[in-house]
Amino acid sequence: MTNRIAELRKARKISQAELADGVDVTRQTIISLESGRYNASLLLAHKIARYFGLTIEEVFLFEEEETP
Amino acid sequence: MKDFWKKIFPYVMFAAAWALILAAILLDERVPKQISLALFTSGGILMGFGAVGIALSRIRMSPEQQKEYERGEHDERNVAIREKAAMSSWYWTLYMLWAAFLVIQIFVGGLWGVAISVVIVLHCTFYMINIHRWNKKM
Repeated sequence: MTNRIAELRKARKISQAELADGVDVTRQTIISLESGRYNASLLLAHKIARYFGLTIEEVFLFEEEETP
Repeated sequence: MKDFWKKIFPYVMFAAAWALILAAILLDERVPKQISLALFTSGGILMGFGAVGIALSRIRMSPEQQKEYERGEHDERNVAIREKAAMSSWYWTLYMLWAAFLVIQIFVGGLWGVAISVVIVLHCTFYMINIHRWNKKM
């Protein structure tokens, strides 16, 4: 799963700390989400999407994994 | 109510520690040496936990620091890290217990082998109990 958090955040000139404050997580979680090291829970995905005024699908891009 | 108990718990531990140590001193030769030692040891452990708990509860944080601390406690990534760390620790402990069991069986044997097998069984039983508990909750 990839996401557009960094892109949306930069476009709106929001800092990682401000976004973290807005969705009630630590800044480290935002850093991990942006770098793709951590996948958000449905609840956090919903909070982030709502923070940007978008739908979850517009922020988080689900990619079907290839089956061997 | 929960916060109240959380606040007084370190003090209760500290008081219980003194009570245990005092009991060990007062009972002295009237009880077997092992019981006296057990009282001293549990008193010492409780005193350590109590003292650390009291020291931590006295640390004053600004409202911002307090908010940041609480956020860090409930942050879903931190919770996930703790869960993964706990799971890894469970496996490592199990491997170490098996290694200890083999070493003891080869070089020592006897009651120590029985004791360590009991610990392995308990370790796995607690795991299964918790799996069952969480299976019901989730």
